[in-house]
Amino acid sequence: MSIVVIGLSHRTAPVELRERFAFAEARIPATLQLMRDSQIVDEAVILSTCNRVEIYAATQLEPQKAFAEIHGFLINCQDYRDPLNDEIYKLSEPHSVSHLFKVASGLDSMVLGETEILGQLKVAYDLALKHQHTGARLNKAFQRAFNVAKHIRTDTGIQRGSISVASVGVELAEKIFTKLNDRHVLVIGAGDTSEKAARALLSRGAKSIIVTNRSHDKAVALAADLGGRAIRFDDWTAEFAGVDIAISSTAAPHHILDSAKLAPLMKLRKNRPLLLIDLAVPRDIEPEVNRMENVFLYNVDDLQSIANDYLKARQEEIARCERIIEDKVKGLLSHHRPNASRIAPQTSAHA
Amino acid sequence: MSWFTDRHFFLLAVIFYGFSTVYSILIWRKGFRQDNRVNYLLLFAGFGCHITAMFLRGFSLQSCPVNNIFEATMFFSWAIVTAYLIIGISSRLRFLGAFVSPVVFFVGVFALMPPLDPPHGPKPEFSGAGVSLHAALILQAYGAFGLSAVAALMYLTQVHNLKFHKLRAVVSLLPPIQRLENVTARLLTNGFMLLTLGLVIGAAVLQRPDYNYVSDPKIIWSVLVWAVYLALVVSFWKFSQRGRRFAWSSVAVFAFVLLTFWGTNLLSKLHHP
Repeated sequence: MSIVVIGLSHRTAPVELRERFAFAEARIPATLQLMRDSQIVDEAVILSTCNRVEIYAATQLEPQKAFAEIHGFLINCQDYRDPLNDEIYKLSEPHSVSHLFKVASGLDSMVLGETEILGQLKVAYDLALKHQHTGARLNKAFQRAFNVAKHIRTDTGIQRGSISVASVGVELAEKIFTKLNDRHVLVIGAGDTSEKAARALLSRGAKSIIVTNRSHDKAVALAADLGGRAIRFDDWTAEFAGVDIAISSTAAPHHILDSAKLAPLMKLRKNRPLLLIDLAVPRDIEPEVNRMENVFLYNVDDLQSIANDYLKARQEEIARCERIIEDKVKGLLSHHRPNASRIAPQTSAHA
Repeated sequence: MSWFTDRHFFLLAVIFYGFSTVYSILIWRKGFRQDNRVNYLLLFAGFGCHITAMFLRGFSLQSCPVNNIFEATMFFSWAIVTAYLIIGISSRLRFLGAFVSPVVFFVGVFALMPPLDPPHGPKPEFSGAGVSLHAALILQAYGAFGLSAVAALMYLTQVHNLKFHKLRAVVSLLPPIQRLENVTARLLTNGFMLLTLGLVIGAAVLQRPDYNYVSDPKIIWSVLVWAVYLALVVSFWKFSQRGRRFAWSSVAVFAFVLLTFWGTNLLSKLHHP
């Protein structure tokens, strides 16, 4: 009995196609039962997320026959009649197991190294297990996949660092302030990215949020959404003495904060550290303020550059992760077939 | 093994601190992303030799080994390493070793200079618990000032990273700058209290009727150092003088202490009869 994978993901299929093949969770147990009743597979797990729909199966059939059967089953099951090219990939051992380990470790994810997929994979496996659609082969493969994911998370840098602008802002705040839970945040301009950054700070425990915007109504709406307080745009400097982190993203064509304006405000703040995040283009804050004592200014390019560097660092870890996975796949398959590593791959269309 | 003296053990300790310094440079260059266990173990090995040297010297003298500059320096660098090894039990703070090892290495090299460890005379002019307490408190104070300077250096490194090497700031294992500044100020304050207590006890026990205390270089120097540290402590807590200027002041004053402590000791007839 061998393990095969058939499915489509963000790498091979656009969202319009993925949503056609997606399974609602409530439908999965019945589908698995149907697949097993049709004698195509002995064990099966269906993973259906926004980025992938995959069937992991253990089957007695020859892989090529199993692929044809499962492919047909999938098409019929989702009532898909349009032509398909290379959107659906089919993997047999050892590539199927290797793929499972990569998915669990976030190596096949859209956001490299993300951990959400591991949770989704566990849910998919638990669902199949609960309805007794897994057996010795898939149980062992999935348990090993979870172990490999843990190993990779702790022993490599694949999940290190933030790769979004908002979370980089939070990381910087954590490098400046001892605790975030007594920090006050000022959002100047109700932009989308500044809202995300403010939410990220709130999720890490920031004490309060003040929102100001030229259109006061927008400020009020965002403040209500964030659980903060809205103030009029002309009043934000008056609040500055109590602020620790300011996120600015107005559409102003000139600097709204410069050294001359900030110097007296810093005295009022007793020179406590101040993190300024300028997400506006053109910039809201004069770059020279970064030279001031205890002022740390980051613009959108700085944050994006850090996020890109983190992503690059993660990408550099891929080879290490793949070596770990290769060893673990060999270890798992050697228990079933000592010559597993010599099996020729039977794959198609896995971009 | 009798040929292997306390100085040899201390030399071995300094060699370990030297290895740790080299490793620290690598860690520094990598932006503190490297594993610090090796550094911790090197400093721990050095500490083992260091404490053996102090025990051997202490047993041979039957007193706390702080009777000449070699011993005083050995004692004070031991205070720094001990503090680090305790703090470094927490893996998150183990990176402090990258800053501690250069300090204890260079101080150790200095202490090993032969003229700083003359043979002990048959009877020291001042002895007893009061003198030992005076010396031990003052050396612990300088140990605290040393650690404060180390924390200030970390602060300056991280502020520089945050302002100019922005990725390095987020990937480094250094604590938040606010905590580093706080640690610097608290160590400085604790050191200042120990120094004050040590000087008061010294003034009480080191009494010689015919001696002109006002003209003793060591006493003038000690009062000056005490006043400068007082100014630093007051400027931070009372006048909110924070940031790089405060950190640089902590480093500069400690560098001044390191460079002049031994010289003034040699010039003082009270401390170096």
